[in-house]
Amino acid sequence: MQSLSGEMAAAEHPLTCLIVDDSSFMRFCLRRMMDSFDNVVASEAANGNEAISEYERLKPDIVLMDIVMPGLEGVETVRRICESDPSARVIMISSVSYKEKVEEALAAGAKCFIRKPVTTDELRSAIQEVLDFDSQDKAGH
Amino acid sequence: MRLDLVKLFVISTSETLEELVGPSIEIESMRMQASPDTSGDVMAIISLTGDAYGKVMIEMNLGTALGLAGRLLGEDSRELTPLVRSSIAELGSMAIGRAISFINDSGTRVGMRPPVVMTKAGAPGYEDRFETLVATIKTVYGEIGLNVTLQSLA
Repeated sequence: MQSLSGEMAAAEHPLTCLIVDDSSFMRFCLRRMMDSFDNVVASEAANGNEAISEYERLKPDIVLMDIVMPGLEGVETVRRICESDPSARVIMISSVSYKEKVEEALAAGAKCFIRKPVTTDELRSAIQEVLDFDSQDKAGH
Repeated sequence: MRLDLVKLFVISTSETLEELVGPSIEIESMRMQASPDTSGDVMAIISLTGDAYGKVMIEMNLGTALGLAGRLLGEDSRELTPLVRSSIAELGSMAIGRAISFINDSGTRVGMRPPVVMTKAGAPGYEDRFETLVATIKTVYGEIGLNVTLQSLA
């Protein structure tokens, strides 16, 4: 098991994560990566609408979000999640990573963007960055 | 046919394979054909939309698909399960997503739809003829055929 964050690993409650991707292969890979971290519980959604209802139900600490999905695509899903919960911590993970799309995702409320294919180290760094940013933000207020 | 854009799909597919499967990737040939090559057992088809539109089809034989999927999944794959099909679809999605990112960054608006994986039996017949760039890319698991048809609205 790899440590994700000293604070999280020591916490009584696990870090909860919602994996959103229409690809069962990507959900399989991301879950395997998340399972390799200490004290993490991962759930899954296969499309944007499912992601919104699962987010409401689970209120996960972190969301890993794809962009190209049938039906409600990723950026619009992030926009809707962040409108209902501005504190949502969403990491976009997509192969579609041109400048305008990345900016669009960040403007919708995503905290960071990782280009596919993603490695375990990249995922760990991104989650760490989002968690650290959040704790610095809270400390600053 | 926007050959300048089409070649980006070949390069991106080769780079993606190199990143995912290993360094011994080789673009064996590139040629123009009157219609796509649908001879593979397994095909991932991705529709392109926007200022330039068309289709990309990645085709391979079953052994190559199982070998690639096994590498991507980190476990042996002996049949075309839904997870194996999904891994081939995602491989195509990553390769084409990379290409359209380059294309958009260079000023042409192109989007992609989620990939659809088909087997030879379920593949569409191409009665119409579409000028297609066909590239053969060699991997340690066998050859992959990349068919790109791209028309510009301009």
